[in-house]
Amino acid sequence: MRLKEMIKQPASRGDLDRRRFLQLTGLSGLGLVLGLGWKPGDEEAIVAAAGTTAVNLSAYIIIDSSGTISIMNPQPDMGQGTFQSVPAMIAEELEVTLEQIRIIQTGGEKQYGRQTSGGSNSIRGNYQKLRTVGAAAKEMLILAATQRWKVPVSECYASGGVVYHKPSGKSLSYGELAVEAGRLPVPQQPVLKDPRDFKIIGKNYPRPDVPLKISGKAVYGIDVELPGMLYASVAHCPVFNSKLVSYEDADTMRVKGVKKLVRFQRALGAHKYDAVAVIADTYWAAYQGKLALKVKWDYDGNDVFDTDVYEQTLRELSGKEGTVVHSDGNFEAAFSSAPVQLTALYELPMVSHSPMEPQNCTALWHGKDLLEIWVSSQGADRVKDEIARNLGIPRDNIKVNILFSGGGFGRRLYNDYAVEAASIAREVDAPVKMIWTREEDTQLGPFRPPTFSAMKAGLSADGKPLAFQHKVISPSMGSTLEDKKDTSGESSSMTEGISTQAYELPNMKNEYVFSQIHIPLAAWRSVTSSTVAFAHECFIDEMAAKAGRDPLQYRLDVLLTKDSDTKRLLLKLKEVSYWDRPLPAGWGRGVAQYEFFAGLGGYVVEVSSTNQSGIHIEKVYMVIDLGTVVNPDMVALQVEGAATMALTAAIKSAITFTNGQTRQTNFHNYPLVRINEMPEVEVHIIAEGGPKIKGVGEPGLPPFAPALANAIFAATGKRIRKLPFNINKV
Amino acid sequence: MASITLTVNKKKYTIEADPQMPLLWAIRDIVGLKGTKFGCGMAQCGACTVHLDGEAVRSCVTLVGRAEGQEIVTIEGISDDNSHPLQKAWIEFQVPQCGYCQSGQIMSAAVLLRENPHPTDRDIDEAMMGNLCRCGTYTRIRKAIHRAAEIMNA
Amino acid sequence: MINVKKWVGILALLVVFIFTGSAFTRPFLSGKAAVMPVYGTSPAEGSLAGGSPGNANGPSYRESDMMHGESGIPGRKPALLHRETGKVPDSVLSKRHFLEVYKVLMSPRCMNCHPSGDAPLQGEDSHIHTMGVQRGLDGRGLYALKCTNCHQPQNTPGLHMPPGNPKWKLPPSYMKMVFQGKTPRQLAAQLLDKTQNGGKNKAQLIDHVTHDMLVASGWNPGEGRALPPLTHKEFARQFKLWLDKGGYLPD
Repeated sequence: MRLKEMIKQPASRGDLDRRRFLQLTGLSGLGLVLGLGWKPGDEEAIVAAAGTTAVNLSAYIIIDSSGTISIMNPQPDMGQGTFQSVPAMIAEELEVTLEQIRIIQTGGEKQYGRQTSGGSNSIRGNYQKLRTVGAAAKEMLILAATQRWKVPVSECYASGGVVYHKPSGKSLSYGELAVEAGRLPVPQQPVLKDPRDFKIIGKNYPRPDVPLKISGKAVYGIDVELPGMLYASVAHCPVFNSKLVSYEDADTMRVKGVKKLVRFQRALGAHKYDAVAVIADTYWAAYQGKLALKVKWDYDGNDVFDTDVYEQTLRELSGKEGTVVHSDGNFEAAFSSAPVQLTALYELPMVSHSPMEPQNCTALWHGKDLLEIWVSSQGADRVKDEIARNLGIPRDNIKVNILFSGGGFGRRLYNDYAVEAASIAREVDAPVKMIWTREEDTQLGPFRPPTFSAMKAGLSADGKPLAFQHKVISPSMGSTLEDKKDTSGESSSMTEGISTQAYELPNMKNEYVFSQIHIPLAAWRSVTSSTVAFAHECFIDEMAAKAGRDPLQYRLDVLLTKDSDTKRLLLKLKEVSYWDRPLPAGWGRGVAQYEFFAGLGGYVVEVSSTNQSGIHIEKVYMVIDLGTVVNPDMVALQVEGAATMALTAAIKSAITFTNGQTRQTNFHNYPLVRINEMPEVEVHIIAEGGPKIKGVGEPGLPPFAPALANAIFAATGKRIRKLPFNINKV
Repeated sequence: MASITLTVNKKKYTIEADPQMPLLWAIRDIVGLKGTKFGCGMAQCGACTVHLDGEAVRSCVTLVGRAEGQEIVTIEGISDDNSHPLQKAWIEFQVPQCGYCQSGQIMSAAVLLRENPHPTDRDIDEAMMGNLCRCGTYTRIRKAIHRAAEIMNA
Repeated sequence: MINVKKWVGILALLVVFIFTGSAFTRPFLSGKAAVMPVYGTSPAEGSLAGGSPGNANGPSYRESDMMHGESGIPGRKPALLHRETGKVPDSVLSKRHFLEVYKVLMSPRCMNCHPSGDAPLQGEDSHIHTMGVQRGLDGRGLYALKCTNCHQPQNTPGLHMPPGNPKWKLPPSYMKMVFQGKTPRQLAAQLLDKTQNGGKNKAQLIDHVTHDMLVASGWNPGEGRALPPLTHKEFARQFKLWLDKGGYLPD
């Protein structure tokens, strides 16, 4: 039975049809989408979330005869605002308000292509495409109206979901036109609106998910409930790569409500980790059953791994020649002959994503090889791919329901927990909701890679740069997650942005030294830039200090003589932060910027030092360079959030290991910044419109910590080269 | 297993549950109200905050038995239509990002405003430091609480 | 006259003690079991009594606290007994008993809820309680961070879980009963000061440390937490001895 048929004919188990799904996502009021799609026969494919192949314009918009307008959102919302900003791009050109539309999350269907929120790509990657989708549909609706009225197109316009005939004042709603419009060919080059006429894009439009999220009505993956559903809690080994020898389940089976145990493997990238799931009729019983389970693990030699030892290895490797990722001029000669030489080693740790919603997933097998998944994930397409690859079922036999994510930050790009739930539910004759504990979420990775940076600079007597080197020493994401044996390709992702800053640095030679590790590592918000930017921008500050120059003016006057986005950004920062205004005694301000794949942002941080050697952050100024902005308030929120996350990574948390086991377990020993520690962040957006459009979610992260550390240097003369540091005792 | 009567949002529920089960799971999985969230299971994060006789109790460490005979209010019970001053202010400042912690944030803020209708920034810290937000909505939560106080006192 | 007699009595007792040690004091006291039921019966007593008595300062109690009693030894002059406790005061031993008490009071299990500031402490290193928990007016916390929002009537099982007790709270803001940072002398004085101890007399103090369930919870601290250096029983006994011997303030 193909999936399409399966959906039309309610499954014997679960019985969760589209209507139920839509209610679950908080879109109550929307019936089954039985209306007319833009291409005959297409609506079923959309509704049933089954595989038509081509991406076509109409797949994003459904208007039923009652006038209900549904817009498909291919970008999962994990708090970054895509539930509003992505449909907004369609709605703007379609000439409907956001209040008029229903938003439906896509489920990894092929016609929507990439459906992953990551890489700060949801807006910049969809801006032209989705506007075109909306504009094309609007033109078809107008054309349908002109055919009915027999009037020229030039006499008609659309607004608020209605087509108007200017001379006569006649009007027809989109619902009334949907059938006829659906029969028209899709215009391939519709005319896009002049941005000056935008009603939604560029405005602080309220987000439709906010009312749901303050009333308990937003449905996250963990909130899914299916009839007859069972719960699973999983015993994983906190020592990676251990083998499960045996387990003693007598005490587990004595827990009331426990049904059975399922032995399976957690599949994370190329890794397979042994695990045992306890299935019960309540989560609490499943969890109690797991606590009572005695598992015998064979650590297989992995219980000796220790972060302190590993860090020493990285320090030793910093003296080694690595893969040259960038070489310009003759670094060695220029450095050795430079009158002033500067070297420093920066050490950045592993960290965990720790979204507030622990990993979870609900899975239901409709028969032998048809699977339905409900999950908080950053990418429905990736959920399908990972399950299909690991469980050996066709991709099209998997239906994915994406719900709101309680945070992602890169963690939910990796859908090991969805594969887990699918693996467990395969052995259970009921839908199963699997929920990880916070301890598992903290301990099991994948983690942000640790990176050490060996920095070298040669300066002239008057402080001009003569030679520069940033050498990154680290394990790599690909080598651990995908088990790549050839690590030569890892050098570019692990040296993100270090060779492409706008700074004019002659004789620059950047390198990458690979270090083996068995801990699973992965992208964390702003990926490698979240660590290498700290070394890069603090070291630029060290150069300015050595040159006896103001660090912002050094960047502007010495390193950025030519025009660039970076120079413009720093000039804006200088202006908005009142950089030249004197500060009280004991205060200091620091600046940093970073440009990388996701975009460009920069901070000025002001701190004061207390007499107990503590540091108080007084004020934070941020400038983000976007080109075009869809929702400025959401951009500000994302920057405020990135600053908070960066502050936590700078002053709170590192993931460390003893005896092969993650030392940190929960928020008591893996603390996050709390409300009293978070200063005001003043966000300025550079957005003059035009075709240039940059990312939002990540550029607010990398430059925060270096700006903070540079401010602390300005206030105290103390240089911070290792994170995290204790802000109360610098 | 025991038969336990809970009063949640003024409605009575008689449930069969292990008396050792935390109130959180009874509310979510048995009563069926999902607005109260699981974050840490050890009273570190505040995502599970509900009102128990008016106090902002962490339901993940509160046994369901303790709640018997007391008034439980969850996020679903503070208003039917987002008309609570905190909800109004939360909308005005567009506070949530992922939103997962916000039920707990609002339940904590409600106790603060009941006991202190004119909170200072420090009062807000002292009330809200038990509620973690990974997305970083803290500065907006602060503004929204001040705004909610204005709405309440108007 | 009374003053002189008192000094003579104290010195006499000291002399007897110094030269005879516990071997003598045990039979000496056993005859007056009704008055001094526990004196000298514990192994800890030997170690206390065996060492040098050090320099005894003048008595810290008021003259009016004292009364005459029987010495318990034929031919010996009547001893001075404490009016409230009816016990023979002994500044050296009393102070030593308090130092035992002090070790317990300054252990994390006791001190963490008797902080110098208005935030409770946590952990074996007595760091300030995360989440910015505050004492509040009545010691029950503030706003959304009341003690019992997390601390249940019982310990929550598991490592690092909130310990619990039906009475879980801090001393109130108007009677903070600070332990943290106090010298033995300061702490002893504070414990005895009715304006600072909730108006408790010595008997009530003894009853409090012996029977109060919140005090006792220090010895049921939840998984993974170190116990105070003495057992609760021994702590209560040392506390009582401190007071029975006059409630002297350590130097």
